[in-house]
Amino acid sequence: MSTSTGLKRSDSEDKCVQGEHRTSPPRTSYGKKQLPSIPKNAVPITKPISLAASAQSTNGTHASYGPFYLEYSLLAEFTLMIKQKLPGIYVQPSYRSALMWFGVIFIRHGLYQDGVFKFSVYIPDNYPDGNCPRVVFDIPVFHPLVDPVSGELDVKRAFTKWRRNHNHIWQVLMYARTVFYKIQTVDPLNPEAAVLYENDVQLFKSKVVDSVKLCNSHLFDQPKMDDPYAISFSPWNPAVHEEARERMFTFKRRPDEHPKGMQVSGLSWVKPGSTQPFSKDDHILQA
Amino acid sequence: MASFVARANKDNRSLILKGVDPETCMIVFKNHWAQVLKILEKHDPLRSTGGIGVGGGGLRFGPIPGDEASAVQNYVEHMLLLLMEEESGQVGSMGPILEFVVTENVMEKLFLWSLRREFTDDMKIEQLKMYEMLVVQSQQPLLHHKPVLKPLMMLLSSCSGTATPAVEAALVILLNQLCSILAKDPSILELFFHTSEDQGAANFLIFSLLIPFIHCEGIVGQQARDALLLIMSLSAENQVVAKHIAENTYFCPVLATGLSGLYSSLPAKLEVHSEEWHCLQREDWILVPALVQFMNSLEFCNAVIQVAHPTIRTQLVNYIYNGFLVPVLAPALHKLTLEEVMTTTVYLELFLRTVTEPALLQTFLCFILLHQHENVHILDTLVSRINTPFQLGTVSLSLFRTLIGLHCEDVMLQLILRYLIPCNHMMLSQRRVVRERDCYSVSAAKILALTPSCISPVLSSALQKHQANCILQSQGNDSCQSNTKGSKEEQYALDSQEYSRIVGYQKGMDASYLHYLYDARSNITRCIKACRVWSAPYDGENPPPERLQLGPAEEGGKQAESSQRACRSQVSSDLTTGEKTHLLELEWDDSYDTGMPSGGDGDLSEGDPGLKEPTPVEPPRHIQEMRKNAIMLIKGSYIEESDFQDDVMVYNLIAQKDAQAPTVPKQPPQPLSNGLTTTENPKAVVEQKKIVSLSREGHPVSRNGKLNDERRLSEPDHNSNLRILSMDGDDLISQYDDLLKGLGAKSGGPAEAERAFVDPVTPMEEDDVDFNAFSDDMLDPDRLPSPFGPKSRAVYSVSASTRIQGAPFTGPFVSVLLSRLENMLENSLHVNLLLTEIIARLAAYPQPLLRSFLLNTNMVFQPSVRSLYQVLAAVKNQIEQIAATKKDIPALVTEAQQYFLSRDDSKDVVQDPLGAENGQWVQDGGENRVQLLPSNKLKKAPPLPKIPSQARNVVFATVLYTEFLKELAAIAQEHTIVSYMPTEE
Repeated sequence: MSTSTGLKRSDSEDKCVQGEHRTSPPRTSYGKKQLPSIPKNAVPITKPISLAASAQSTNGTHASYGPFYLEYSLLAEFTLMIKQKLPGIYVQPSYRSALMWFGVIFIRHGLYQDGVFKFSVYIPDNYPDGNCPRVVFDIPVFHPLVDPVSGELDVKRAFTKWRRNHNHIWQVLMYARTVFYKIQTVDPLNPEAAVLYENDVQLFKSKVVDSVKLCNSHLFDQPKMDDPYAISFSPWNPAVHEEARERMFTFKRRPDEHPKGMQVSGLSWVKPGSTQPFSKDDHILQA
Repeated sequence: MASFVARANKDNRSLILKGVDPETCMIVFKNHWAQVLKILEKHDPLRSTGGIGVGGGGLRFGPIPGDEASAVQNYVEHMLLLLMEEESGQVGSMGPILEFVVTENVMEKLFLWSLRREFTDDMKIEQLKMYEMLVVQSQQPLLHHKPVLKPLMMLLSSCSGTATPAVEAALVILLNQLCSILAKDPSILELFFHTSEDQGAANFLIFSLLIPFIHCEGIVGQQARDALLLIMSLSAENQVVAKHIAENTYFCPVLATGLSGLYSSLPAKLEVHSEEWHCLQREDWILVPALVQFMNSLEFCNAVIQVAHPTIRTQLVNYIYNGFLVPVLAPALHKLTLEEVMTTTVYLELFLRTVTEPALLQTFLCFILLHQHENVHILDTLVSRINTPFQLGTVSLSLFRTLIGLHCEDVMLQLILRYLIPCNHMMLSQRRVVRERDCYSVSAAKILALTPSCISPVLSSALQKHQANCILQSQGNDSCQSNTKGSKEEQYALDSQEYSRIVGYQKGMDASYLHYLYDARSNITRCIKACRVWSAPYDGENPPPERLQLGPAEEGGKQAESSQRACRSQVSSDLTTGEKTHLLELEWDDSYDTGMPSGGDGDLSEGDPGLKEPTPVEPPRHIQEMRKNAIMLIKGSYIEESDFQDDVMVYNLIAQKDAQAPTVPKQPPQPLSNGLTTTENPKAVVEQKKIVSLSREGHPVSRNGKLNDERRLSEPDHNSNLRILSMDGDDLISQYDDLLKGLGAKSGGPAEAERAFVDPVTPMEEDDVDFNAFSDDMLDPDRLPSPFGPKSRAVYSVSASTRIQGAPFTGPFVSVLLSRLENMLENSLHVNLLLTEIIARLAAYPQPLLRSFLLNTNMVFQPSVRSLYQVLAAVKNQIEQIAATKKDIPALVTEAQQYFLSRDDSKDVVQDPLGAENGQWVQDGGENRVQLLPSNKLKKAPPLPKIPSQARNVVFATVLYTEFLKELAAIAQEHTIVSYMPTEE
């Protein structure tokens, strides 16, 4: 997994941001790409939790709270994911299950440039003690590591054993991005693609272009899953999108202006760098 | 003129003049004035020296005939009416009447005329009202014109000083009106100053006249304060006014010292209606006039600081600090009796809740955090009082709840963070863990796993029932468990009405877990927002751990001193003779009383440790006390020690009560000023001795436990240690019971008591060396890992001056909180509510240092540091042991759960839990757990379950304990998913 290259490349891609916003639906925009407030959006779990895996204690409390632990583990993963700010990747847990996330990945240059691939992440229900999450593209992308029938990405090769505390879902997503920039052909799920890449790059390239076109032509299709939080695309419509874009661009300035903004409820007279109370210079008291 | 005023106030007045030609008005006005002038001149001493009256020597000019006076009055009435109604001329020039008034100096002449007559109060009132009406109702600005302004000022100054209440009332009303005109049209301000100059010293008369009324009660005071506030906000933009007020008036001193004056008339003792009472609510203090008056003035100070110019603000704040807080409040916090101190604490808490302006809050907090009263920080004193039994302790808890709710970095720094910054409290390898998030809710699981087994059956049966409900509501999901989850989740999407309806069905205790999560989330989010103004993240790296060593410069002396104190108490528990046991007890007593003022420095030289004369207890001692407790943990005697201590306190108080019953005239039942009790029971003494030695013997055992613990540092199990300890403790508890029984049988012993009292307590310092050696040893971090040789303290007798500050110690506040928490089962419900609320609030703070210390159950701390988890585990063991011995407890607990659940339902109805989302949580003070109890909130409260009183605390505490675990677990879980991005919301 070549994290560094992936990140470096991303820097040069920022120019594309605007175009990307045009095509991405508002729901995945910056402002929305956050943890949904728990109570309203919290997701029920579709399958019973395997208690044996996650429970160390047998006294019953764990059994009743198990679902909470799982859900919060996944939400924590999601929070971490957001923190990473992976370029070109947007995910959203589904409404029906915290164990399934919807995602979309924008490829900004390289062989797969302009590709917009929708995918789903399936997380094992004994998370984090099970296998690594699976990533399945809605439309099987032509790629050595993507199963041409199921659309599943070969994630396991990067995470042979899923280790709690060390492995996180964002790493899987970063991996999913990396494969499009740095093509691997060893043990391919799509041997045709692998062979072509090794032997006839031109043909490979044209197949990729076809695949990208195919994917993009289905961009506005209804989501595969009937889920309120499934990612759906729609053509640019100023009436709907203009305002959201506007907000997006003004939004970025906000963190800077905040300190001088409205009075916050907290108090501090500690001078930065000091650990003495009332060390600030504007300390009013001359006692 | 009164009749005129009355008439003019009627609305039909304007109708009379509507449509009347201005020229006609002018003519009428002039005619009237000519008539008036005729009379005026007739009596003018400059013109006709004699005047008509030849009469008495009293008046210079002789009496003015009544008919002439009333004639003038009638004319003037009419004239003023005309003046008020006149529209200003074009382009804002004066109307003709006003111009006439100005050029002819009408107003001044009229004023002189009234001076010439007898200037009675009635006349003053009339004139004041006349001007009030003029300035308020006039159609054109009058005050710009000196010929109007000057007589007004003369009138005002003639009214100052010796006025009757009626005149004052009218005066203040007029001043108030003038101020609001000023506020609307600051250009007049200059004129006011200039007019004053004519009178002599530069003087802002309106302002100066208002000052005496600042602290008045009732409507007059209120109007005066309103008027002053108007000027204050003027001052914010007008440097001249600000400067004048700050430099030439007594405004700020009057305001600040007025607080002191008002404070002195507050009740020194408040009547406490019930044990659960712990703070003054508005509905309480509104009934105490003196308090209302004080609060008015305090709120006024707050408002002034809010609006006034920085110069004034700074001055006022300093006067409040030096003129009220330090000279008045500080001594009041160190009064002689428990009730007085308790009352002062309650007042202080109320003040903190009332003050909203940051600058003023800063002043109060500065006082609390930094001021030293007789060498002791106020904060230390306050912290130490948390451990006081009865009302003072409860009230102190309430105070700290308020302080913590301020989200003030300085407060948190002094209370807790400064002890955590060095990261000494954890193993070195753990520092990187500080910022880690508990991704898989491991801590939450560990906390919840502390749920006592005697609760579990209840829980699971409730859960079953609950699940059954959920299945009914399920929407076809495929498993029972997911149904539970799903339907619960969806409840939150429902509107609140429906929400509470559904909650009504779900009596299962676990249904509330979502509430806890929800509350935890909003509390944490709010806290994060509030803490954005903080200077540092407190994440173990910033501020860097190296920077803050509680330096010798700052704390060294204190620590040395306090270590001596610690020695004393330690030594005292070693005493063997009966007489010395007296000392022992006194010492303990003293310690619970630590908050009490005592006179002296409490230093080693005190031959008579303040028995007769209250010596101010130095807070360091309490810190030391805490420190000692922390140290004792290593020795395994912590629990015993603290239990014992508390029980002795209780014993003393019981004994004291008993002693009062048989009316022994010789023995005044009240505690001496420093709170020492007078009774003494030799038998008890012996018992105590036993217990002490017993607890000592516990050392080796717990030692081993600890060593085990240490060997398994990578996988710590604090329980192993705790279990052993608490078993010891339990053993002790039963002994205490015996002790108490014995005491009940043989109450009194006044003679003994007397002796104990009179006996000058001889110094306990003789053994200092010994304990110093002990404590140094224990405090020396280098030695901590290998505390072998339980009994061979001599081994460790290093020089007494070894550094102390390196000892892992999480601060007195945390120590005292945890030690009270550990005694949860003995605490009253209300104390526990406060206690758990404080800890929950602390746990909601996002600073990784605090969060990891309180909530991360995986952290490995230094052996001398007690963690919240350890204490909770200890409480769990206590509960299980009690449940094992008293078979009826589980049933009672179930009953109590139902009782509290009904509270929960009623809470949902009364107060929509979702409402908190958009509610403004000012200072976190909005919600108060205790108020949510049925007895406080609902008329038709469910009957309290019939729980035998001796079991009540245990049963309630058990219920609360399990709820508290959920609350903490929920907070821990929410911390893991909270987004720290500023974009949230």
